[in-house]
Amino acid sequence: MSDLLRAEGIGKRYGGVHALRGASLALAAGEAHALVGENGAGKSTLAKILAGSVRPDAGRILIDGKAAPIRNPLEAQRQGIGIIYQELDLFPHLTIGENMVIGNLSFREAAWVDFRKVDAFCRPFLERVGLRRGPREMVAELPIGQAQLVALARALSMRARAILMDEPTSSLGEDAAERLFGTIRELKQGGVSIVYVSHKMDEIFRVCDRATVLRDGETVGTVEVPTTTPGALVRMMVGGADELRADWQSARAAVDNRRADYQSAPLLSVRGLTTRKLRDVSFELGAGEVLGIAGLVGAGRSELGAALFGMDRATGGEIRLRGVPVEVRSPAAAMRHGIGLLPEDRKLQGLMMDMSVLENGAMASLPRMSRLGFLSTERERAALLPLYRQLALRCASFSAPVGWLSGGNQQKALLGRWLLVNPDVLFLDDPARGIDVGAKQDVYRMIAELAAAGKGVMLASSELPELLRCADRILVLADGRAAATYTAAEATPERIMAAATGARS
Amino acid sequence: MRKLRDSQGLMALAGVVLLAIAISPVASDGSRIFLQMGNLTDILRQISLIGIISLGMTLVILTGGIDLSVGSTLALSTSLVAMGLTRAWPGAGYAAHMLYAIAGATLAGGLAGAVNGAAIAGLEIQPFIVTLATMIGIRGLAKWLTNNANIDIGFGGDVAARFAAAFRQKPLVIACYAALAAVFWVLLSRTVFGRQVRAIGDNETAARYAGLPIRRVKIVVYALSGLLAGFAGVLYAAGNQQGNPNAGVAYELDAIAAVVIGGTRLAGGKGSIAGTIVGTLIMGVLTNMLRLGNVDSNVEMMVKAVIIVLAVAVQRQRRMD
Repeated sequence: MSDLLRAEGIGKRYGGVHALRGASLALAAGEAHALVGENGAGKSTLAKILAGSVRPDAGRILIDGKAAPIRNPLEAQRQGIGIIYQELDLFPHLTIGENMVIGNLSFREAAWVDFRKVDAFCRPFLERVGLRRGPREMVAELPIGQAQLVALARALSMRARAILMDEPTSSLGEDAAERLFGTIRELKQGGVSIVYVSHKMDEIFRVCDRATVLRDGETVGTVEVPTTTPGALVRMMVGGADELRADWQSARAAVDNRRADYQSAPLLSVRGLTTRKLRDVSFELGAGEVLGIAGLVGAGRSELGAALFGMDRATGGEIRLRGVPVEVRSPAAAMRHGIGLLPEDRKLQGLMMDMSVLENGAMASLPRMSRLGFLSTERERAALLPLYRQLALRCASFSAPVGWLSGGNQQKALLGRWLLVNPDVLFLDDPARGIDVGAKQDVYRMIAELAAAGKGVMLASSELPELLRCADRILVLADGRAAATYTAAEATPERIMAAATGARS
Repeated sequence: MRKLRDSQGLMALAGVVLLAIAISPVASDGSRIFLQMGNLTDILRQISLIGIISLGMTLVILTGGIDLSVGSTLALSTSLVAMGLTRAWPGAGYAAHMLYAIAGATLAGGLAGAVNGAAIAGLEIQPFIVTLATMIGIRGLAKWLTNNANIDIGFGGDVAARFAAAFRQKPLVIACYAALAAVFWVLLSRTVFGRQVRAIGDNETAARYAGLPIRRVKIVVYALSGLLAGFAGVLYAAGNQQGNPNAGVAYELDAIAAVVIGGTRLAGGKGSIAGTIVGTLIMGVLTNMLRLGNVDSNVEMMVKAVIIVLAVAVQRQRRMD
């Protein structure tokens, strides 16, 4: 079989974490090839390696059957590989034409820019992707769907024979997505191959000829799309479900033992919540309940937290606390109502890295830690040290900058901030992300203790095993909507992934 | 960590002082002029105005901002206090008249600062641009109010003369600086407000997620900066015996230099009042040393330039260790 592009045994490590180990992909000429997998399976990393923006640690890449090391984006361009990133890499304040010729090896650039030459160069490619815009228009003035077409035209103008598209529909409306599918079909007929990175089942089954499934950085297999089903693809993505199940079922025993009767009166009740990123989300949370929030990247997990915590303005819907409707316009208002949020990115959104562990812990409770505006260090120590002991936070000194701690201990310092605030409803956004195994266990234990104390805990996570072991119920989000809710007894990795990818069968 | 930084600043100050002693000219009685009590207190008096302004500048820079308008605010305040003192006073007593003029000028500075803060926090315009604009605008206001003429005070026996005589005394000026420095030291290191200032500069996004009142803190910080510049303007008027709408040019740069030499990070979040006081003293001793040595004032500026870059370079090194 004559493959246009072959990647074999690709490996990539970030620190001690394997993003890819032994991933492979074979792309035939003129096909649309889906690259699918769960969050963190390595899809984007593999795409970036093929596009030359990330260098692999192991493996080899063949083009037309010949070894072709791709060390940087320019070499990828020479080999005829183009990429369209999810976050488009265009210069918004340059024109369409300027964007297309910058760094373009197929365009001979003189020191003096000849705009007529640029126009003439760009026009055929803009026509080919069906963009009715002049080359001298600013990219910043285009809607996102048209900007994506500019990126596509640029890739074609670089004589790309294989174009990688990373989640191309994630920011497109339905019309724009529809047009994109049409363009992809035309490109295929013209002999251009597409690698379609996505986890949306309906799109894959409409657009793609074959699909390669990645799991934990490894290629599980490649299937012909017409002869498979969404369910079968999801099973390949989720993988060895049996061992997974054994693992979380043993851990769950402790969770099931507490069994508070939280169903009787919901602590938090959300009806039709709508924001920029959420559409008509409804659910209830009981006191003493852990509600898992599942969903793929971009499904709206963090956005749900942001809406409940007053970071995103709600444009519709109702939030009730103990049956009373509340308006949450700011984080301070959320905290007054007893809602807390542990944000997803502790470096960007959570901690003041140069400030001490204690100062960070007290940050959301300053009025309580002070008298007449003067802070009491004794009060801070007395309030925070027991909490940090409970969390098993380890540090040389509580007065040392929190930035000196390990990731797990940083997360505990931030968790301590919210334990001190002690809200009735706590939204934990991926609290175990990027921390070591021991710290993860401490975080899980804390979640169970919070629930046992009658708090309502929402746990958003990209890790299914984590949700399955900690949550009493799991709300699955897809595309900003509530796709399904499962009780702990009903939830399985297959069901959750099927709901999250829209492959309900 | 903070202790280490302060002690390094103190060592730099000690180095400058030792150098000043070493190269100081010698008086006829064999003593070193630099070490004479009169000279040392002169240094303190000379740094007091920039010192007071740099206290507010420290808070501003800690939030990640900058205040370029303080020099113009000082000019506005000197003009206003002189205008207030030379105007007929209907009431009885010098004291009330003086208080009215001083409070009015100082509060006008605070108001100018609050306007800065409101534009920065409310309209979300960059501090550099807002305070660049008010630097120009406030200077214009001061010149317009005075018809661009100095208002002389301190001659004869009227209230203005009494004011100038009282507020140009060395001990009083130094005491004002010392008292304000102590107040701001406590404000920054011991109060909720001070911690919020540092938290916002360290990570404003995280401050939002922690529910801190970011807007309010920023408005107060710029208002305090204006208030201090306003009060410095009052002392300037007394010291120079005139209200001068062209006073205070480039004071903002001296204040920023003192803050930065004192180890406060220009991006915000890290720094202290103690550091700023040390930075102000380093600048003051350096100026005095060069003047005692009869160094050309233009050369003095060049030496200062080198010192600023060296001070910041040394701090960068330390941070990377």
